[in-house]
Amino acid sequence: GDSWGIFTFLCAALCNLPALPALNCSEELGAGQSIQQTYDLTRYLEHQLRTLAGTYLNYLGPPFNEPDFNPPRLARAERVPSATVDLDLWRGLTDNARLAANYRAYSRLLCYLRVLDGQVGTAELRHRLAHFCASLQGLVLSIGGVMSSLGYPLPTGPAGPPAPPGAPAAPNDFLKKMDDFWLLKELQTWLWRSAKDFNRLKKKVPPAVVTLRLEARGF
Amino acid sequence: AADPAVISPQDPTLLIGSSLVATCTVSPDFPLKAEDLYWTLNGRRLPAASYAALGPSTLSVALARLNGSRQQSGDNLVCHSRDGGILAGSCLYVGLPPEKPVNITCWSKNMKDLTCKWAPGTEGETFLHTNYTLKYKRRWYGQDNTCQEYHTAGTYSCHIPKDLALFTPYEIWVEASNRLGVAVSDVVMLDILDVVTTDPPSDVHVSRVGDLEDQLSVRWSSPPALKDFLFQAKYQIQYRVEDSSEWKVVDDVGNQTSCRLAGLRPGTVYFVQVRCNPFSIYGSKKAGIWSDWSNPTAASTPRSERVAGGCDPKGGEQNTTLRRELKQFFGWVKKHAYGCSNLGIKLYDQWRVWLQKSHKTRNQV
Repeated sequence: GDSWGIFTFLCAALCNLPALPALNCSEELGAGQSIQQTYDLTRYLEHQLRTLAGTYLNYLGPPFNEPDFNPPRLARAERVPSATVDLDLWRGLTDNARLAANYRAYSRLLCYLRVLDGQVGTAELRHRLAHFCASLQGLVLSIGGVMSSLGYPLPTGPAGPPAPPGAPAAPNDFLKKMDDFWLLKELQTWLWRSAKDFNRLKKKVPPAVVTLRLEARGF
Repeated sequence: AADPAVISPQDPTLLIGSSLVATCTVSPDFPLKAEDLYWTLNGRRLPAASYAALGPSTLSVALARLNGSRQQSGDNLVCHSRDGGILAGSCLYVGLPPEKPVNITCWSKNMKDLTCKWAPGTEGETFLHTNYTLKYKRRWYGQDNTCQEYHTAGTYSCHIPKDLALFTPYEIWVEASNRLGVAVSDVVMLDILDVVTTDPPSDVHVSRVGDLEDQLSVRWSSPPALKDFLFQAKYQIQYRVEDSSEWKVVDDVGNQTSCRLAGLRPGTVYFVQVRCNPFSIYGSKKAGIWSDWSNPTAASTPRSERVAGGCDPKGGEQNTTLRRELKQFFGWVKKHAYGCSNLGIKLYDQWRVWLQKSHKTRNQV
C-alpha cells in the first residue's frame, strides 16, 4: 500500500503524462480523462452552436441575423454571469473557482435555453434547440464529474428557476428578441472561454491529483 | 432605468394589405429630438418622406399596404437614433386568418391507436405561426378530447395512442388558430374498425423453384397481430426486375402465405414486396387499409446452361422446354421413388452431364 503510493508519485514525476496509463491508477486517470472529455465537449458544443445560432437568428429576422449587429444591452438585470473577465483575475483563479464558474454559468444558460425551447415557433428550431440542450446538459454533468473526481463540492444555489427575482421576463416581443440575441452571444463567449479554461486545467491537474492521493494516504 | 424610447403600437397584429402609423417617443431622460431619429423595417431604412414629427421628441412613420410577415417571429420595426443606435423596437405580425383544415384521413394500427393527418386550408398560413389542434369525441356522448402527440406522420398529423373504444363512431375535427383568428374543419365521423391497418408481413423469403427459369416462390409470415385480433388477411405482392421501376402487382393472392410467380425472365434478379390488408374484422365484410409494403427481398431466376451463340434458336427453345419437363419428371422421381431414390439422383445427374455435353457438341458445328 505505502510503497505503491511512492511508486505512483515517482512515476508521475519522472515520466511523461502518456506513461501514466501504464500504471494501474484508474481514479487519477479518471480526472485527466474527464477534463479532456469536457474540453472536447465544449468544442463540439461550439460547433453545434454555430448552426443553431444561425438558424435562430434567421428566425428572429433582420437586423438580428446581420453580422455586425450590436444592440445595446439595455439596463436590465444581468441574467447570466458574464464570461468576459479581467485577464489577471482569470489567470489567478483556483481550479475550484474556475470549475465552479463554468458549472454555474452553464446551469443557468441551460435553464434559459429550455424556456426558449418552449416558446419558439418552428418545429425545426425546436428540434435543434432540444438537441443542443441535451448536449449542454451533458456538459454540465461532465463539469460536475470533474469537480467530484478532484474532490470539490458542487456549487449550490440559484441554478434552478429560469427567471430569478430581479430579472423579469421581457415586457415586449422586441425586447425578448434582444434578450434571446444576447443569450446566444453569451453562450458563444462562454464556450470560447471554457475551451481555454479546460486547456489550462489539462496541464495542471494530474500531478496535483497524485499529491491529493498521497495526502489521503497520510504522506 | 427607463427604456430610451417607447413605440406605439407595440407588437400589433395586422391583416395583409392594411396600413399602419407607428410612433416613437423618446424618454424625457434622453436628450434626443424628433429630427435625430429614423426608422428601419427588417433592417432596411424607411424613406424620410413617410416620417412626420408629432411633437418635439416623437417621430411617426406611415406604412401602407403591408405584405405578409417576412418571418413568423414578426417583422422588426425599429426606431434608431442618428448614429444608428437602437432606441426601441416593435414586432409586426402581418398575415391572414387561417382557413378550415381539409382532407382529414385517419388509420388505426391493429385497433390499438389512431393516427390522423390533414392539410392546411391555404398556403397563406405560413406568415403567422398557426397552431393546429386535433380533437375527437365519441358521438352522442363523452366530452371533447385533445390529441397530444403531433408530427408523428408529417407536419400536419397527430397520434392518439390509447383509450379508444371500438364499435362506436367517433367525431374527429381539426382546429387551426393564429393571431388573426380560428378556423374549424368539417367533422369526420368514423369507427375505428373501419380504418384498421396492420404491420407488413414479416420473414418474406423468395427462392427459386428447383431449376425452373421462369418461376420464383415467395413465402412470408402473417403479421403477428393477426392471431390476436380476429381478422383475416388478404395479401398483395408486387415485384419488378432489378433495373426497372415498373412494379407488377399480383392481386389475387388471397389469404395464403405463399405464392408462386410465373412467366419471369430467366437469369434475372427480381425485387419482391408483400403487403397485407386486414379484412373481415370481427366478421364485417369490409376491407381495412393496406399495410406498408415489406422491405424488398431479392432473388434471381436460374439461367439455363446454354452456350452463348444460339445459332439454332428454334431447336434451342424446344430443347429448353423438353429439358424443363425432364427435370420436373426426374424431380418427381427423386421425391416419389423411395427405394431407388439414390439411384434416381445419380442417374439424373449423369443424364444432365450427358445433356450438357450433347448440347456443346451440337452447337459447336
